[in-house]
Amino acid sequence: MGRRRLQSALVGLAIGVVLADSSVVTLALPDILARFDVEVPTVAWVLTSFNLLLALTAVPAAYAARRRPKAAFAAGTLVFAGASILCALAPAFAVLVAGRCVQAVGGALVVCAALDLLLAVLGSDARAAATWAAAGVLGAALGPAVGGVLTQLAGWESIFLAQAPLALATLAGLAGLGAVAAVPGDVGRPHVAANAALLLVSGALAAALFLLVILLVNGWRLEPAVAGLVVTVMPAAAIVAGRLAPRVGGPVVRAATGAILIGGGLAALAFLPHAGVAWTVPPQILVGAGLGLALSALTEHALAGRSPQAVHGGWTIASRHAGVVLGLLLLTPIFTASLDRNQDEALAAATAAVLDSKVPPLDKLRLAQDVLAEVDRAEGRVPDVGPAFAERVEGESGDEYRGLWAEIEDQLDRAATNAFSSSFLVSSLLALAALVPIGLSRGEVGV
Amino acid sequence: MRRPAGAVSLAVAAAAAVGLVVVYLALGGASYEPAGVADPCASRAWREPSGTAESIEQVVLSTADGTACSLGASREELILALRSGDSLSAFAREHGISDDEVEEAVRAGLLRAVDDAEQADAIDAAVAGLLRGAAERLPISLVLDLIRGASSLLP
Repeated sequence: MGRRRLQSALVGLAIGVVLADSSVVTLALPDILARFDVEVPTVAWVLTSFNLLLALTAVPAAYAARRRPKAAFAAGTLVFAGASILCALAPAFAVLVAGRCVQAVGGALVVCAALDLLLAVLGSDARAAATWAAAGVLGAALGPAVGGVLTQLAGWESIFLAQAPLALATLAGLAGLGAVAAVPGDVGRPHVAANAALLLVSGALAAALFLLVILLVNGWRLEPAVAGLVVTVMPAAAIVAGRLAPRVGGPVVRAATGAILIGGGLAALAFLPHAGVAWTVPPQILVGAGLGLALSALTEHALAGRSPQAVHGGWTIASRHAGVVLGLLLLTPIFTASLDRNQDEALAAATAAVLDSKVPPLDKLRLAQDVLAEVDRAEGRVPDVGPAFAERVEGESGDEYRGLWAEIEDQLDRAATNAFSSSFLVSSLLALAALVPIGLSRGEVGV
Repeated sequence: MRRPAGAVSLAVAAAAAVGLVVVYLALGGASYEPAGVADPCASRAWREPSGTAESIEQVVLSTADGTACSLGASREELILALRSGDSLSAFAREHGISDDEVEEAVRAGLLRAVDDAEQADAIDAAVAGLLRGAAERLPISLVLDLIRGASSLLP
């Protein structure tokens, strides 16, 4: 590998690590909730705080990075790595959230400075923008999968412990890189339409990345590592779509094509015919392909013909992560309320199934109590009623118990799947709403 | 005349998106309905009991039906509420009922169970009369404790 390729790969890795952080802890949230004994809306701040701070500090960080990109990249990396260790060792929930905020500030410096470093390495605005956008898309898309596997294998703290050395290793990308001069000239106004479209598409993608993994883990009771592997369909489709992107058309067409695919994939997730991993694959392919096309195209579109790149890159980061925050704040209450309602209905149906079943009469009350004990143990998540039936299916009337077990699990699975429908549908509308600013962006520079 | 690549890309994306949604809807993607629960006020047919266990079961179910009917709730809501003191309090708050009303409803449920058993010829008129008397006088706290702790009484 040539020195320039290695340098651009390391800088790209830094971008990927930082932007993966917006979604990397999604699958770790149940473990974090248990570790610090906090409520569900509170634990969501582990995600929201990072995205909110990144959105708020991206543009100021870009102005700072513009003057001394190498120093800003190095400082940002050190702050990000230090904050990652703080998160891993956090003795209290407030410390973890504070660590996430500091991570976001360091990350904003890294990502914005990286654009000017890529320009210095690759020597072309267009190539730098394309590499920068692709690294960000891959990082965000791979985040949940990597986080799920790490959480399962070594606990949620390992996510942050792994980030620190990885981030520090990217500093090697600065070695041999000559002085990177500040870009002179005034800063023009940001590309409003492209950034507005980025905000809406990112809000929709928050649903795909966050809600889908929550459905898999909390709704269908998959292990985090398995759920992480299931959602790798999206980054895989994004990579393939990214390769095919030049054949799709110009930035506006790619962005519109991507938004339609994301909207369609999310709508399909809202209408899953059955609870099962296989049913999520076709929608994930659409969402992943749309992600690979739309985010890169809109980012390149927002940067095309604008200078300095780092500042306009900062605007795209601010728009994307403001979109993620918008998606989280808009969609979380919708699916939480639906989940509560559907779970109550499913529990009533499960109780009716137990009472009306043909299992031995004198065991019905005890079975009902055992099932409800599993409900209480699940602490708001969709319960696994298997332990209530495990011994019973081995004894007399095993077939009756097996049938009842399957009936209750089916009720719970379908109720959980349906609980996410409204949120996926709203997020589909967010993606399709992005077509409006995408259409308007044709009139702005850089089409 | 060849269509521009952009138009083809948009058309393919739209067809894939709409096509997948249509297929999922056709396969029942919007058909979720929670399984219904029976009306507790409607008369529930008694199965022919084949032993003491089934007779007890039917009496308990009829009591739950009668109590739930008096409270304007479903039998399943009532059973879920009886799992703990907190859930019973939440149930009482949700339905706007007091302790006295719970007591009255449980007695109504017991009387309903006796009526159902008598109609099904599971008990004769004399036994039904005795049970009605007990249902009207039995301390209600004892009844609730028996319901909550029923599983520990079972073999």
